[in-house]
Amino acid sequence: MARKGALQVSVGLVSVFFAAAALVGVGAFIATWRRELTHALAGIPLMFAGAGTAFAGVSRFAAAPAGGSQLLGQEVAALLSVAALAAVALGVGLAGRVGPR
Amino acid sequence: MDSLHAIGFYVSAAVSVAGGLSVAFLAGRSRRGLGLAVVAIGVAGIYLSLSAGFAALVALVCYGSCALLLAGSAYRAVEPLAGSRWRQAGALGAAALMVLIAYAAYGADFASAKYFGGWFGSAALGRSLFAHDALATEAVAALILVALVGGTVAWRARERSR
Repeated sequence: MARKGALQVSVGLVSVFFAAAALVGVGAFIATWRRELTHALAGIPLMFAGAGTAFAGVSRFAAAPAGGSQLLGQEVAALLSVAALAAVALGVGLAGRVGPR
Repeated sequence: MDSLHAIGFYVSAAVSVAGGLSVAFLAGRSRRGLGLAVVAIGVAGIYLSLSAGFAALVALVCYGSCALLLAGSAYRAVEPLAGSRWRQAGALGAAALMVLIAYAAYGADFASAKYFGGWFGSAALGRSLFAHDALATEAVAALILVALVGGTVAWRARERSR
């Protein structure tokens, strides 16, 4: 039983956007700050994860008033995950061709 | 969203951002790979708390694979062409981008409204790509994949012949 006056923790669209902005910002920071290009590739998954988080959040909170399932944002989040993996695989493969062994 | 989901969301967001910062600042590819794996777990937790279970599974597999790629033996260091001044300017730009997005998220007025964006809107395009023409989209994706594999094989054959 909840204590009277206890703080109710809630998440809104703004909180989701803050988390997404933090992920995009940290990813962009990694991509620009690191001297080594292959290391900078690690920023791509974070930026894509931030974009996917925003899409999933909009999908989650847009579905509530309509009463139906709004799956487009979740689809895009999954697609962005696969795209991030493809970009990192391509970058690591290209770095393996041109980098020192 | 109840309190348990909300706590899960905030913890997952903190874990993913902390993992991202560890990727930025840790030395050694295995540690950075571990940091990226932490990001994968955090992002999967975020998706799960947003009722996107399938996207969470895909994100866990894909971002975990990214961590394996960046921590694996195929990793090769490549020196950049840009100087340190440009990198620092880029990092400052990234910080400004984060502040701008956070300000937009905080200051925006989110209203519940039904707006039809037209046939060229993102919603209409998404419905067309993922619902109406899903098979065609998959076919184009398969074609691009085959073209990329063919290009890679041709490139490797040309490199070997040199």
